[in-house]
Amino acid sequence: MHKVMIFLLITMSSTIFSSETTSITRSGYFHISYQSELEPITINQIHNWVLHIETPEGDPVSGAKVSVSGGMPLHNHGLPTDPKVTTDLGRGKYKLEGLRFHMRGYWELIVIIEIQGRRDTGIVKLNI
Amino acid sequence: MSKAIKMIATIAAILAITWFYVNPTDAGSWTKSELRILEELSIYSLPPLPPDVSNAVAQNIDAARFGHSLFFDKRMSANRLVSCATCHSPEKQFSDGLPKGRGIGLSDRNTRTIVGSAYSPWQYWDGRKDSQWSQALSPLEDPDEHGGNRMYYARFISEDPEYRRVYESLFGSLSHFNDKKRFPDAAGPIGNPAVFSAWENMTTKDRHMVNIVFANIGKVLAAYQRLIIPGESKFDYYVEAVLQNNNDKAETIFTKQEIRGLRLFINEAKCTDCHNGPLFTNNEFHNTGNLSFPGEMPDRGRINGVRKVLADPFNCLGPYSDDPTRNCPELTFVRKGAELIGAMRTPTLRNLEGTAPFGHKGQFQTLGQVLEQYNDSPLAMIGHNEVENPLGLSTSELESIEAFLNTLNSPLTTSPEWLNPPRLGISSIAVLQ
Ligand code: HEC
Ligand code: HEC
Repeated sequence: MHKVMIFLLITMSSTIFSSETTSITRSGYFHISYQSELEPITINQIHNWVLHIETPEGDPVSGAKVSVSGGMPLHNHGLPTDPKVTTDLGRGKYKLEGLRFHMRGYWELIVIIEIQGRRDTGIVKLNI
Repeated sequence: MSKAIKMIATIAAILAITWFYVNPTDAGSWTKSELRILEELSIYSLPPLPPDVSNAVAQNIDAARFGHSLFFDKRMSANRLVSCATCHSPEKQFSDGLPKGRGIGLSDRNTRTIVGSAYSPWQYWDGRKDSQWSQALSPLEDPDEHGGNRMYYARFISEDPEYRRVYESLFGSLSHFNDKKRFPDAAGPIGNPAVFSAWENMTTKDRHMVNIVFANIGKVLAAYQRLIIPGESKFDYYVEAVLQNNNDKAETIFTKQEIRGLRLFINEAKCTDCHNGPLFTNNEFHNTGNLSFPGEMPDRGRINGVRKVLADPFNCLGPYSDDPTRNCPELTFVRKGAELIGAMRTPTLRNLEGTAPFGHKGQFQTLGQVLEQYNDSPLAMIGHNEVENPLGLSTSELESIEAFLNTLNSPLTTSPEWLNPPRLGISSIAVLQ
């Protein structure tokens, strides 16, 4: 019982109250993680991220076509900017520019990855 | 494991987490997460004004003095009766207390305050300008505001000995524009057909010369406006006391009604979804379902503003920006799309005193009327009202929010000499009163 509690506490607090820095794409082809240039991420400030994409085995995925969209699902609105992956930095790293969050709360960033005819979508979840 | 145990464990976990996050602390019974929001709203969180690299003289004090003088100078208009201060009066929080701006004619919208607006990546209700220097050019050529044309303004600066001297000290040599064949009396791309065709008949090079002077007029006006920043309000003193855990002091600053209003503002009423940060605005675009001015078509707002700012030759990416790298993230990654129909840029809620009526068309006579609008949350006439659910607050709750909003008035941090017309000019210009 005790263990269950702790387990639940940990998983719940991480899904409800904090952000996940890694996520797995829908079909399981890719793992996505990110690093923000603005740390901690605050509201109303435009900034950039580096997305890190790798296979489930941990090999970096370079040369992919990566695009993002997103918003606040609970508020039923999108992102206040139109962020774009501008540079393939190599070794599975991609520069994502032009992010801004204009409210506190739960945000989702939808990342679409296409490489060699494979297309998969991941959701980066964050609480700001 | 049985379902029952799982259920109990889940409930226990939720309770534990809720307790952790909602547990009131000593400071006036604000929770930790509420305290974080209060701190974020306080003026003490206002960062130094970010640089504007597209304006080389943004931080130049001589440019600010020049801009100060132009801001109050009524010769900067077609009828010599209108200055920026006509609609942005320092006595009225750099606004005018009218439903719509009144210059030579009537502006399309309600006058926005200039206080703190230098912090915004966008200017105007619809964000059709992406810097204050570029914004300043618009009223000068608007037939209903200053009603002049850029050729007139460039020549005016060049012919006024004092302005010419300061201009040249800031930007280098200034043409005399005395060849009337190349530089007619009146010319500009906006305004009546004669002015327009005179502009069209000028060479590209000559137009560029005039545009540079015109842009520099905007840049000195922006340097001045960057000094107009709000100071500490009653609300900020309250937050300071609360954060110092000085409950007794906090309670002498805020009444119970004001505390209740603040509590509603950041919680149930969800005002901080948009009116957030130390200036109580996210400077983003939202459709809040406001009806238009009686008898007028609904205003399309940001959906048109974004088109205009992208096409503007005076935007951050254009030839008149001083940033050699053209690093313009806001413009480069600007959002488009249907969400922007009828969306307006969130106004600051600091220093609302004396700025009624409210709303982009001055539709609301009082704060009470604005609050009733949020409380009812009607369907938008165009686009989609983002504030989907009526708040359903009681009259007494709405009154307490209003009481709280009235605690956000403050003197400016700007020193008084900037708030009056420069009587002696930059050094000796007589400003027409
Ligand atoms: C006739 C009245 C009038 C005059 C004169 C006028 N303005 Fe305005 N100003 C307005 C109105 C109305 C708005 C809002 C219009 C809109 O958003 O569409 C505004 C908006 C602004 C804003 C945007 C603030 C914000 O947060 O969006 C700034 C800055 C500003 N004016 C500066 C100036 C300067 C500088 C001058 C002089 C060159 C000037 N104005 C002259 C009426 C006027
Ligand atoms: C979804 C974003 C959003 C939310 C939530 C929101 N506002 Fe606003 N607010 C705006 C926008 C946008 C405007 C300008 C609307 C217009 O004129 O069309 C505005 C205008 C106002 C004005 C008029 C200010 C002026 O200078 O004209 C007041 C006062 C105000 N809001 C108070 C509040 C309060 C109090 C709440 C909470 C009950 C609230 N707002 C919630 C976005 C929002």
